[in-house]
Amino acid sequence: MILLLLLLFAGVILMEVPGMVKNKMWRELAVFFIFLVIGMGLSIPQVLGVKIPNPTKAIEAIFKPLSDLIK
Amino acid sequence: MLEKEIIDDKQAVLLIINMILPTALLSLPAITISIAKRDAWISAVLATGVGLMFGRLVSSLVMNFPGKTFFEFSEEILGRFFGKIVGIFFIWWLIHSCSEIVREYGEFLSTAIMPDTPITVFLVVSAIISAYAVKSGFEVLARFNLLFAVLMGVFVLVFAISFLNVKFTRLLPMFDTAMTDILKGTLVPLSWMGEVVVFSAFSPVLKNCRSVVRITDMSILLVGLHFFIGIVGVLMIFGPEVGSAMMYPVFNQVRMISLASFIERLDYIIFMSWVIGGFIKIGIFYFAAVIGVSWMFGLSDYRPIVFPVGIIIVALSVLIHEGIVNQLDFLMNTWPFYSIIIFETGIPLLLWLVSQIKNRRHSA
Repeated sequence: MILLLLLLFAGVILMEVPGMVKNKMWRELAVFFIFLVIGMGLSIPQVLGVKIPNPTKAIEAIFKPLSDLIK
Repeated sequence: MLEKEIIDDKQAVLLIINMILPTALLSLPAITISIAKRDAWISAVLATGVGLMFGRLVSSLVMNFPGKTFFEFSEEILGRFFGKIVGIFFIWWLIHSCSEIVREYGEFLSTAIMPDTPITVFLVVSAIISAYAVKSGFEVLARFNLLFAVLMGVFVLVFAISFLNVKFTRLLPMFDTAMTDILKGTLVPLSWMGEVVVFSAFSPVLKNCRSVVRITDMSILLVGLHFFIGIVGVLMIFGPEVGSAMMYPVFNQVRMISLASFIERLDYIIFMSWVIGGFIKIGIFYFAAVIGVSWMFGLSDYRPIVFPVGIIIVALSVLIHEGIVNQLDFLMNTWPFYSIIIFETGIPLLLWLVSQIKNRRHSA
């Protein structure tokens, strides 16, 4: 599973990066890697079974007083 | 970024309808009926009325800033710093709701159609297809959407056949539910209607931005009609108790069709149109998020960041909920407040007020 995921990341990099380097789109390249790293940070721990904080839990906690109202 | 692409009014209306409807017909009737019981259709009507006002708010913003996306005019209204902050929040909401939609679709496909396939397959495949659509550009998405209009005709026909099973007496007694419950039931459909705000991220593609009021009015009315028919159909066929206990009542309603024991299993026609609609809905939210990100960093081309954003969407869609019950609970109790208060009325209203005050000052 983890191998498959790494293969996917490698595929995406191979598909996108050469074109950007050829056209000298350095800004795009930087943003591409920032978002790719965020994506890795979200997906690799899940595949390895490491627990990462769940954003919906935080949203649920914030809106708890309001959602209790409609119950 | 989107300068070269133009769509006409009809395509825009169909696109807004498809931006709201696909997931709504899946989970919305059950949720609304479980809150507003037998009078859930009143909730749908009320939601349409308020939804029209949401549409007006968005369209007046779009008309005041012709040729600018949501992100660009929020920067112009609030200034560079606060504009970027609003932009960050909005991008988060787009990515989050996109992964919410992807998950909803995956759950539907895996629970109702293919229970033995792991859900990750559906999540990844739908994201890859949408990524391809987003890369091809907005016009492609809008034209592909026309295909859905054809399917919609078939959909209406199938739906009409399923109405052979209705009993009007199941709607009686009317106005029996407490007014507060009906109003509470309005919130969930309303949070779907408010998604019309996403369209303001694409406003430069409109041929004539004067017609945006007509576009939003028309599409909200049509979406409201669909909500109404969907909810009334479920109520009259299953009644409020059974209808709210089902996960996908509209799907079951079509599954029940048996005409002269010959025309049966029409559910796959509905299924087909939902899958296509779902890809378009995912595509639109995905596209808006990508446009937001490329505006944020001042990129000249949005295409390179399509895949990274898609990976984040899929990873989030796995992470955010443990299962379908969990998600339905979130959509019912938290989602309406979260998206209506902050993103669908809060931010647009703030932008509108500030722009009005600024205008006053200019003319004075």
